[in-house]
Order: sequence, then C-alpha cells, then structure tokens
Amino acid sequence: MTIARRNLAAAAAAVLFLGACTGGSGDDDGKDAAAGYDPAAAVTLTWWTGQTSEAETVAEKLAEDYHAAHPNVTIKTSAGAPTTDDLLTKLSAGFAGGSYPDISYAFGNWAGDLGASGKTQDLTAYVAEPSFGWSEIPAAAREVATANGKVIGVPALVDNLALIYNKKLFDDAGLAYPTDSWSWDDFRAAAKKLTHPATNTYGTAYSVSGSEDTTWHLWPLLWQHGGKILDGTKPAFNSDAGVAALETLRAMAVDDKSMYLDQTDEKYGPLFNSGHVAMMLSGPWSLLDIKGAKLSYGVSVLPGYNGDHQTVSGPDLWVLFNHDDANRAGAARDFIKWLTSAQTDAKWNLAVGNLPLRSTEKDTPEFAAYVKEYPGGQKFFENLANAKQARPTAAGYEVLSRNVGDAIAKVLQGAATPQAALDDAAKKSADALEN
Amino acid sequence: MSITFAATPRTASPAPPRARGRRGRSARRTLTGWAFAAPATLIVVGLSIFPAVWAFFISRTKWNGIAPAVDVGWRNYQRIAEDSDAAAAAQHTLVLTLLFVPGSILLGILIAVALNQRIALIGFYRTCIFVPYVASAAATGILASFVFNPQFGAANEALRRLGLPTQQFLESPREALLVICVIALWGEVGFTAVVYLAALQDIPQELVEAAVVDGAGRWRVFRHITLPELRPVTVFTAIWQTITAMQLFDLIFTTTRGGPLNSTQTVVYYIYELAFQTQRLGYGAAVAYLLFAVTMLLTIGVIWYSRRSGSEAF
Repeated sequence: MTIARRNLAAAAAAVLFLGACTGGSGDDDGKDAAAGYDPAAAVTLTWWTGQTSEAETVAEKLAEDYHAAHPNVTIKTSAGAPTTDDLLTKLSAGFAGGSYPDISYAFGNWAGDLGASGKTQDLTAYVAEPSFGWSEIPAAAREVATANGKVIGVPALVDNLALIYNKKLFDDAGLAYPTDSWSWDDFRAAAKKLTHPATNTYGTAYSVSGSEDTTWHLWPLLWQHGGKILDGTKPAFNSDAGVAALETLRAMAVDDKSMYLDQTDEKYGPLFNSGHVAMMLSGPWSLLDIKGAKLSYGVSVLPGYNGDHQTVSGPDLWVLFNHDDANRAGAARDFIKWLTSAQTDAKWNLAVGNLPLRSTEKDTPEFAAYVKEYPGGQKFFENLANAKQARPTAAGYEVLSRNVGDAIAKVLQGAATPQAALDDAAKKSADALEN
Repeated sequence: MSITFAATPRTASPAPPRARGRRGRSARRTLTGWAFAAPATLIVVGLSIFPAVWAFFISRTKWNGIAPAVDVGWRNYQRIAEDSDAAAAAQHTLVLTLLFVPGSILLGILIAVALNQRIALIGFYRTCIFVPYVASAAATGILASFVFNPQFGAANEALRRLGLPTQQFLESPREALLVICVIALWGEVGFTAVVYLAALQDIPQELVEAAVVDGAGRWRVFRHITLPELRPVTVFTAIWQTITAMQLFDLIFTTTRGGPLNSTQTVVYYIYELAFQTQRLGYGAAVAYLLFAVTMLLTIGVIWYSRRSGSEAF
C-alpha cells in the first residue's frame, strides 16, 4: 500500500515536471541580441557547419584564418551532426537541453520552424546596413532567410533548377539541343523522341518518392502558370495553374511514357550519368558527378510557359542563435558577415563547387576557375535571376511538401487525376499550416 | 518498446516466516535488495518508462521539436479517426500481420520437424536456417532489394529462365507488400524454427512410444501428440511474431521507404514519417500510443485466452 502511494507521488511529480517541459516559450523579448556589443571582448563561438569531409576541412581552415585576424574570437568548428539532415534533430535536442550553437547550417525549409523557436537572432536591422551588401544575394535566398518577417540568418548556399542534357543522345537522335527559349511542349516532344524502350533510354526522369525532391520540381511549373503555393496560410497549389502544371508532367509520364519514374531520389542522377536519361531537371550539385562520369553535357534554363522561364531555388542558411550574450551575438554576426563577403565566399562556395553567393563574385578569379572546371556553372549562375519566388518558410511546409509529393507520385503513376490528387493534398495540408 | 515476460510460478510457494529481527535489520535488508535492483530499475525507469510517459504528454501537444509545444488536448487522437493515411497504414499492417504470423508459424513448424531428424550434417542445416535471423534486418533489406530489382535482380532472372512473366516486385504498389512479407519471413523463420525445434525435443518420448504401441501412424502421432504439445509455444510465437510484424520498420526503411504510392507504409513507418520526416512529433506520438494500446490489448487478449484454455505459456 505504501509502495503504491509512493509510486503515485512519483508519477505526480513526473507529471508536473513534464508539464513544465512542454509549456516553455521562446525568450524573444524584442531587444537586439547584440546591443552593447564590445568587438574587443574575448568570446568563444560554436559553429556547426553541416559539412562533411572536404568542405568541413575548408570551413575549419577559414575559422582558423578568422581567429588569426581576430585573436579574441575563438571558433569551435564542427560538422554538428553526421549528415546535414540530422542537424535539425541535434538543434531541437540542443534547444531542449540549452546547449545550442551560435551559428548553424540549416536547410532553407527549416527557416519557419527555427524562426518560431524563439532562439534565433533578429538580423533585420543588421543586414540592412549598406556595408553588408544584402542586395547582392539573390532575392529568393534573402526571402528564405526571412521567417515571419524577421531575418534569422544569412544565405549559405544558393542553387536553382535548370535543364541538363546529354549531348550525345541528342546527336544520335539528330535533334537540336535545348535552348533557353524552349517551351514545355518542345521539352515533351524531344523527350518522346529520345525515349527508346529497347535500350532502356528515357527522355527525362522524375522522382516519385514523394519527398521534397518530388515536390519542388513542380513549383517552377506552378509559378510559370501563374499559380501560388500558399494563399496566406491556406494551400493554393490546387488551383487551375497547379492542375495545368501537373498535367504537363502527367502527359509525359503516363501518355508518352517518356519519363523514368524513380521510386527513390537516388537513381535518376546515376541513370543520367550512364546515358539512360537524356534530360534531367537538376541543380549545380549534379555537376560534380557528371564531371566524374566524363559526360558531354549542356545546360539550359528550364523550359517555359508563355515565355516565363522562372525556376526554383533551394537556398541553405547560416542561422544565428541568441544566447543572451551581446558579445557572442555581435561576434557571430561579424564572423558571418566576413564568411559571406564576396572575398571570403569565393574561397568557400566556389572552392567546394557551389555557386557564388553574391553577384559581385562573378569577376573573381575563383569564379573563372569554377566555370572552367564546371562548364555548366555559368548557366546556373545566370539562372539565379530566374529564381523569382521562394518556397514558403511557414511552419507546416514540411507536411504540405509530403502531401504534394504523394499527390505527384500518384498522378505520374496513373493512379489519380491532377485535380483530385492536388485537392486531396490541399485538404490534408490545411490543418498543419494553420496555427 | 520491449516487452518483458515474467514466468508465473506454477505452485504458490509457502510464505516465508515473518522475520522477527529488529526494525534496523529489516530496513537494511530492504536497502540491500534495492541496491541490487537499483541499477536495473534506473535503466528501466530512465530509458523506458520515463520516455514513454513523456511521449504521452507530447501526444497531447502540437510540437515540431523546435518551436514551443502548444497544448491541444485530445485533438491529435480525434484526428487519427479522420486520417485516411493512418487508416491505410493500419490496413497495411493488418495485412502484413495476417500473412506473416501464420506464415512464420507454419513454416517454423515444418522446418523444425525437418531439422529434428537424425541425419548427417544436421548441425550445418540448423545453422543455415538460423543465420538469416541473426543478420540485421537492414542488411536483409539491402540484400533483398538487389534480388528483387526489376531490371537486374536474380528473382526476375529466375522467372525469365522459367518462361514466366517478369514482375515489378518492390516497385509495384500491388506486389510490394507481399514481397516485403516474403523477405520478412525469410529473415524471421529461423527464430520460430529454433523455438519449435526446442519444443519438439521437449516432447516426452514415452508419449510418442505409447501412441506408436497403440498403433498410431506418423501422421496421427504428429496430429495428436506433437501439435497439442506445441500449443503453449505457439501462443508465445504468435504473440512474439505479431509484435514483430506490427513493429516492422528497418526492412521497410531499407527497401521501399513506405513506397511505392505508400503501399508499404505500415503504422510504425507512418509514425516515423510523421515524427521525423514532417516534424509532427505530437501527432506522431498519438499514433504511437494508439499502436501501443492495440499491441497491449492483443497481447492481453491472447494471454487471457490461453490461460482460460489451460495453457501455461505465460
């Protein structure tokens, strides 16, 4: 009896404790995190780079360079997590335990959630200073760094989707290479001609895993048709524009069978590299593997609808966190300003094979070297101007993305019509988006 | 979540005579007892019970792991009823369980009977059957996805040689769940086989001899002696394999990731997707609690039934 009562008391205590755990709130008090910052104060910053192997080595070298120039700032550099995907889990555990970094790499689609944590710095005023050169960074990337009206970080990486094609397959079929003025009809016709079931060769490929990779390839088409992902906090992708966009893909996958449907996200890249897919809608990250496969390739902007060739960008961020220590907050800002400056970024992004962050880097010798190594790089750089809209940073985008991904997968495998599938996805997502 | 089976004593032992020592002595004995039990208790409470209780509180919130959690009462549980994806996941789990549990029991008995023969190299055969069970399901899954690859896999090659039409296997929404079940059976049947093998060797030889003397043939011995003797073990394997089937995750993760078209998305995989892919920790915890409740009810039901019918598996 006494034991039972004691257990009851322990359980009640646990309940109270847990209640306290879940009831916490963000500590955003509206004060600038770096107010009263003393640039000469000795500080130690923790920097989670989210990078592996080679890029991590470059990052550590940069942190040492910065320390050499600013001896009072020590930067503890680490990848933060085994993969970039795991960083979010690490961060959420860090928030719960109170040990999170000063600066962390983050995927752009985490911005809404991270902004809602109340643990981020508000950089809106800081990046607005002319010396920061905020406008040199592509607009879509700046938009992603802004969560709920506040700038919570600085873009770390910019990219976009373009059309990469295998020149040899076009030559063999006697077709002209894709141009920057191609329409989706041109794309479809070429894909059909390039498809040869006998040799397992497809005109193009699309991921039907239902992940964000499936979803974000649809957004440029939606935008080109004049559609929107969200209307306020309501899903708007099931509009006529969305249906027309998805119908374009459906016709190729189901009617023409000119589209290789990849059940994972991982097969279409290698299939392109081995000459089984003639055209792939992908980003600059593919160039490294294509180069390794010694493929003769070309890059053009995405096919367009009514002359609109806009694309989607998937920027990643350096998110800055607030530790209620003005010196740490200020030092973190200065370090990130230095890291993302045109001069340092050329040694960072261009050196590890990414696009330059700032438009002013196009005249640097590093950019010339990059374009020489990756001939498609120039086109991807120019294509940044076509990234006019950004994916929403609203909390709940992850859920929406999953539902839209499932809808696309269903339609491309002939299991649903575009209208029905998108309506269903919109209905399922509505609840996660409202707060 | 691990389940611990406690053996029920068959006969109640007589209560020990009450210690008449001083209070201090009895307290010290209690303390000594707790000192022995404390490390294990701490581990169980800290790593099993505490997270489980905490998960219950999470299940009553809307939480993405980052932003502060918002209390939503029972809304997450109400939502499960309207969630068509959850219903589909439950259906997939049910189909998988209904195929896997009887399949692994029947195959297990068959193989155990075969392995119970006195033939040459029997130790080698027994090892062969058990090896897939020892191999991690992740490795099994990766291996199987090579075998069942529609373009280059050995399974389609075999079908081609036999002149049968080739299949899409894991890439077809209709076949994927069946293929997963086959792979799971291949991996798990070693376990039931070993359990049945031990049970077969436990059957008293005199029972069999008596039946033979009474003129029973091999089939009738099997039907009237062996099978009834295996019943307690079957209750155990049924519960164990049901839990295995309902919690199957690693195999799905390494082969289809719930696809194609979510046709292999089981409840556990759905929970993973909710909690760790789309960051809906509150809703994911609610579904997990529902799964826990169902598993618990099933287990209690089977135990109650087996106790009532006089079996002593638990």
